Amino acid sequence: MAGVIHAIEVEGLSHVYGGAVSALENISFSVAAGRFTVIVGPSGCGKTSLLMMLAGLRAQSQGTILCQGRPIPGPDPQRVGVIFQEASLYPWLTAVENIEFPLSLRGTPKNERRKRAGAMLELVGLAGFGERYPHELSGGMKQRVSIARGLVQDPPVLLMDEPFAALDEQTRMTMGHELLRIWSTTSKTVVFITHSLTEAVYLADEVLVMSARPGRIIDRIAVPLPRPRSYDMMATDVFGRLRDRIWQQIRKTP
Amino acid sequence: MKIVAVRLALLALVLAAWELLPRHGIVNPLLLPPLSDVLRALGDQLLRPQVHEAIAVTAAEVMLAFAIAVPLGAALGVLIAESEYLGQVFKPLLFYVFSIPKSIFLPMFILVFGISFAQKVAYASFTTTFVVLMSAATAVESVKQDYLLVARSYGATRTQVLLRVYVPSMMPLLLEALRISMIFNFTGVMIAEMYASRTGIGHLIAGWGENFQMTQLFAGVIVLAAVAILFNEAVRWMETRVSAWRA
Repeated sequence: MAGVIHAIEVEGLSHVYGGAVSALENISFSVAAGRFTVIVGPSGCGKTSLLMMLAGLRAQSQGTILCQGRPIPGPDPQRVGVIFQEASLYPWLTAVENIEFPLSLRGTPKNERRKRAGAMLELVGLAGFGERYPHELSGGMKQRVSIARGLVQDPPVLLMDEPFAALDEQTRMTMGHELLRIWSTTSKTVVFITHSLTEAVYLADEVLVMSARPGRIIDRIAVPLPRPRSYDMMATDVFGRLRDRIWQQIRKTP
Repeated sequence: MKIVAVRLALLALVLAAWELLPRHGIVNPLLLPPLSDVLRALGDQLLRPQVHEAIAVTAAEVMLAFAIAVPLGAALGVLIAESEYLGQVFKPLLFYVFSIPKSIFLPMFILVFGISFAQKVAYASFTTTFVVLMSAATAVESVKQDYLLVARSYGATRTQVLLRVYVPSMMPLLLEALRISMIFNFTGVMIAEMYASRTGIGHLIAGWGENFQMTQLFAGVIVLAAVAILFNEAVRWMETRVSAWRA
């Protein structure tokens, strides 16, 4: 497609473990700048491995990955921010210190750090909770801190590895909605991994469905629901049909 | 508050029993001299130059052995926890050796070093190194992979990963290890001194025991107990300060 700027381009990506186990097979997709893409698939389909490769944290056996038009041979936090599952905050740092962590690694002066971390806390709706330690925060609040930490360096691309998997269903829906609100104010390109079908349809511009090992992309589904999304859209026919289509695809794979 | 009151009452009860039971002949005062006699003996002993020298020697042995064993054990522990190869080779072997009572090696230390200051230090650091090594390896393994992945994804260098993730994450376990290894270290020095020695608190205590000087013996026990508890509590205090986030 001429004229579309791709934030992420993956071409012919394959990965083999220990020379024998094929984890990912011939994966190709691209994500236009500013779009929200969700990758959904059964556990063990290699979706987390794929995300690690997009983040430059793991090398692929074959194929190319371009991020903002350039390969990503190693972690590059200015280009790609990663948001992990719940337990990844440092328990010995306060919320605001956790958010500052990426900046402090680069030697950003303390004043600047505090200012930017404070702005992030506000963005994720946690103003006033900066001095709390992770064990003093609820699961949803911890994940807000984690999102703030991923956003603090203002990378154009955000990768999220099942960030809400450990949360209860209600908190999970609220956090998804919150994420869309934050995303709409920041215009990031997001790749979001989940195994929840509802979450996938609710969040995505496009859903990529992966098969069980070896992981392949077996379906691409554009989600035509308007933005901003609202909870009552889940009751619509369109929503139900899309979720059902993903389920049928996943169910087919052994 | 109530708990503290009960503890103090219990302590008072024990001390009172220590004083009164031998005083009234309910317990043989030759085996357990009354507390006041022991405290008087303690006061007398603390004035003797021979005791001063013994305390100085023991303290030097304990501190030197500790100063050798802690960095040595920590370095070896980190090494076998970090290197998969070294871990696979040495961990089972170390577990075997760790399970052997170390005191059976004491005669060998005497043969090599003679009955000397060096022998006490060598034996105590030998026993302590194992404890530190095991604890350090456990502490390294306690650091969650997620923590390392986060740091790497934000572009942390190796040094930053070490100082900003490993050290704070391991600190509570390391302090606990320090405390426990000091117990082993102190025990090592005492055993070495009581087994064969010319000076040191352990030597004095062993001598008092052999000569049936029970008041002196108990006075020595009080001194040792006080020093050991003091060190233990100091490290424990640091532990609670460093691990507030663990609540």
